[in-house]
Amino acid sequence: MYIYKSMKKYLVVALGVVIAGCSASGDNPGKEYAPNMYHSVAYEPLKQIKNKESGMWVSSLDNGVGEYYSSNPNNPHEMNMREPVANTVRRSKFGFIPNRIHKDSFALAERVLKSPLPNTPNVEKEGKVLYEKFCDHCHGAKGIEPGKVGEVFLGVPAYTSAAIKNKGEGHLFHVISHGKGRMGAHASQLSIEERWKIVRYVQKLQNQ
Amino acid sequence: MTIGFHKARKIKAIIAFALVCIMSSQFAMAQEASSAGTTIPTDEASIGNGKSLFSANCKTCHAIDKKLVGPALQGVYDRTPSVEWILGFVKNSQKVIQSGDAYANDLYAEYNQTQMTAFADFSDEEVLSILAYIKQETDNPTTAAVAATATEGGATEAGGDSVSSSYVSAILIALLVVLALILVVLVMIISVLTKHLNNKEEDLSEAEKEVTKQSFTMEGVLRAKPFIFAVAFVFTALAFKAVISQVYSVGIQIGYAPEQPIKFSHKLHAGEMEIDCNYCHTGVMKSKNANIPSANICLNCHSQIKTESAQIKLIYDAVDNNKPIEWVRVHNLPDLAYFNHSQHHNVAGIECQTCHGEVQEMEVVEQHSLLTMGWCIECHRKTDVNVKGNAYYDDLVKMHDEAGKGKMKVEDIGGLECSKCHY
Repeated sequence: MYIYKSMKKYLVVALGVVIAGCSASGDNPGKEYAPNMYHSVAYEPLKQIKNKESGMWVSSLDNGVGEYYSSNPNNPHEMNMREPVANTVRRSKFGFIPNRIHKDSFALAERVLKSPLPNTPNVEKEGKVLYEKFCDHCHGAKGIEPGKVGEVFLGVPAYTSAAIKNKGEGHLFHVISHGKGRMGAHASQLSIEERWKIVRYVQKLQNQ
Repeated sequence: MTIGFHKARKIKAIIAFALVCIMSSQFAMAQEASSAGTTIPTDEASIGNGKSLFSANCKTCHAIDKKLVGPALQGVYDRTPSVEWILGFVKNSQKVIQSGDAYANDLYAEYNQTQMTAFADFSDEEVLSILAYIKQETDNPTTAAVAATATEGGATEAGGDSVSSSYVSAILIALLVVLALILVVLVMIISVLTKHLNNKEEDLSEAEKEVTKQSFTMEGVLRAKPFIFAVAFVFTALAFKAVISQVYSVGIQIGYAPEQPIKFSHKLHAGEMEIDCNYCHTGVMKSKNANIPSANICLNCHSQIKTESAQIKLIYDAVDNNKPIEWVRVHNLPDLAYFNHSQHHNVAGIECQTCHGEVQEMEVVEQHSLLTMGWCIECHRKTDVNVKGNAYYDDLVKMHDEAGKGKMKVEDIGGLECSKCHY
């Protein structure tokens, strides 16, 4: 009987181990081997742990916060990333500087903006790759029939329609950058160079 | 000569008369045509033509039954001043507005002075065929009916799913009940048989008596040595296995599927809607991190789609208050290891799904791969370097071929060097 009783105790402990588990599932990320080496002490851009107590039990830091704590209290919302100073101009390695044409001035953009990229098949090919990643779920593979999102989104024009067919590269660039009508601005997702590449491919689709 | 002259005059007069006749009849025909031209045609050809013109040119801003950028076009021919007015407005709306037309100016004001693109190239027939299509859609709304049946179908399908799962649990419960009944029946049979044998005690031999008088007390069974041994063995084996597998799972986050602040479904967006991963994870071609998208990317579509949904309102809330959405990061590579998305995506051309699994099938994203060092190394050992169309590797491939060691694997170009990932 004694063996049975003590076994019962072990059984409960073992069940506890199995249920609590070291392995991850659902909201539980699981246990880690050497937590001090897993968690960055430096600020990580895509990670934020606001709880100062987090990882206190393994902490080797002398600033009184846990090992896992990763937030910058000096930033808004304690974010690890910081927004650039207002009116900062980002310069790419090709030296493209964003234009300052107002987002509604499509006619001006069409007159003024010229593609800095050479007219090579390679540019068009790279434009096609980007088009398939960033445009075709709305505009469709050929830019005529809307894609899966375009069908629900409604209001996606065909590139060959009378209103768009003859629009120049400056207009297309401006629309990608700032959006038009129901379309949103895509400047945050695509660099200036990438936008010009897509423009080149869209021009091909206009004239298909 | 004079006769000839007279004859010539006569002929000229006849020709002139004939010309006048033809012209006037043509004029009449033309008038007829123009009066017929302002009524909306109803023939199949015009409707078909109108449909393709509508989807190529108008759909950007107009729907039949819904207000988009411009008004819904349902019954537009009834509410506007006249069909001629529509023709003029489509060809050059600004001209109509500037002419001081009251209806046009009201419309312009109602839609925040949004200019309608001038379709000067359209002929009257083309605009009329578009109207024919609109009229047909107004009278028999096909798309709406199709959408309604689609949602109905979806509803029954979803219902079928829940029915089948409750069906399974019903079967299980029924089986349990049957098993319990069998147990009860067996116990009853045993007790009846024992009773029966006990009644005829005098007929039984000594050995048989021993069997019938055996008492099956629970305590007796539990105290039996073979039973204790068996239980101890099974328990130890299970505990051992549990401990070993738990120890092996330390540091592995496979299966981690945290609940996110907004119930975003990759299955819907990447699967059904076929949005490329890269559309939102903008860093994958440029950076070490694939990036967690910011709320403005959501709004590229959700400024218009499902604007009433409670989950979408959480995005609006974040944007309005300039507050980041605190998504929970699923893939947490230890800080001691370096990994670069752009390198694996751009150079190696590896699909996202190779490491992340079929994310387009996941309602809630979970970690699909081990992300351990062994897992990295296994792939680096067996994967050929993607050298196609990449001049950077030309010399390396040449040297490797000269050494005659078969295809160049990632390990051959330093893919197993410690300092590649740990530094």
